[in-house]
Amino acid sequence: MESMLAAMNKKIVPLQEYFLQGSVLDASRDILLHRLRGICDNIGGIEKFQDHEMVYTIGTNANNVLQLRARRALDDPEAPWLLRYVGEPDFGDRSKHTLVRSSIDVGTSDNLVQFLTEMGFRLDHEFVVSGHFFRKGRMKITVSKIYRLLQPGDTDKVEALSKSYLVELGVVTVSGQDQVQEEMKNFAEHLKPLVHLEKTDLRKLQQMGT
Amino acid sequence: MGVVCVASYPVPEGKSGQQIVDVLQSRLEQLGAEKSGQFNVDCETYQSQVPSAQNRLVHLLHNSEQPATCFAVLDTGTCLVADNLFNLLMLKLKNFYPTRKGFKIESKGQRYSLGDFIIKIGSVTFGQNISFKGILVEVEYCPCMVPGDCWDLMKEFMQGFMGNCVENPSNYLKTKMDIMYTPADTIQQYLEHFKTFRKESLAVTR
Repeated sequence: MESMLAAMNKKIVPLQEYFLQGSVLDASRDILLHRLRGICDNIGGIEKFQDHEMVYTIGTNANNVLQLRARRALDDPEAPWLLRYVGEPDFGDRSKHTLVRSSIDVGTSDNLVQFLTEMGFRLDHEFVVSGHFFRKGRMKITVSKIYRLLQPGDTDKVEALSKSYLVELGVVTVSGQDQVQEEMKNFAEHLKPLVHLEKTDLRKLQQMGT
Repeated sequence: MGVVCVASYPVPEGKSGQQIVDVLQSRLEQLGAEKSGQFNVDCETYQSQVPSAQNRLVHLLHNSEQPATCFAVLDTGTCLVADNLFNLLMLKLKNFYPTRKGFKIESKGQRYSLGDFIIKIGSVTFGQNISFKGILVEVEYCPCMVPGDCWDLMKEFMQGFMGNCVENPSNYLKTKMDIMYTPADTIQQYLEHFKTFRKESLAVTR
């Protein structure tokens, strides 16, 4: 534990995610994938993923709730489960090109759901996300579609939420690496006009929704 | 990774823990065991403050043998094996699962190797004062993965330098006799011993 805190103080633990989001209609997805294959690093072989994500919460008081995400790969049952904490996105000011949020990613054994339930976490919602991923240097790009489950826990019967794909560009790194934002902005420029990756003020979206 | 047995070694009255550790170490060295570094296994405990899981405990353990891993064990017996960053998640959870202050317990000491065996002689310390509580001896037989297949051999080896304090497998190990052994099983054995040490020392202070 002490060594972990020491590592945190020295800022060598990757805890910060810089990210941009956008979307593309189903009909244009293949053109975007084609472009991404052209400009991203060649990772060889599989570039597809299909994950099941369950979002758990703990706490009753509205101001004091913690959310954790449990994710597993549906197409690779041997892969470790992923437990993830994501903080509130920070919009920053105009000089910042991307959104920033804190992020803790932990690989775990496959009894994660049982563990969280016994700890007192409750399942809030779940979804299936499937799509393609790419890599460019330390950036990760995903083009994915989100599906809702027609029956709780049954990942075979799903329904698409929309007629478009979510495009995300993200870097998880140590805190204070603001120069990575420039890199991301330049990369996003290469994808225009197929997709506009922007820093979206999520609070405004939520207000529009209500 | 092989099969591991963790046994408590009694400290007779009038002797200090260090004296007994020295005796065990010199016996091992006479057998030809070679020093192969230090080890430690530590355990912090967190207690639930949430109504949906009252009085639940989370024990967070680390083993220097698996330095990139941490083990979170609930009092129900469920053991989550996770990356080291799980420690930070426990900090995020501090409103729901605060640390039990002064409850840290650890076993540390010398690690030896001798042929197919790895032996660790650990002194157990507990609480804020880091007071000495006892001795735990860990013996690992590396070539085997199933406890039932090598228990007799391990027992014979352990009795060779520990005497008759190892007679039968612990209750926990008995349930694992014919399945594959994993690092989480070692952690569970340590936790059983740690719980006993804590119980004893809390009973004394009351």
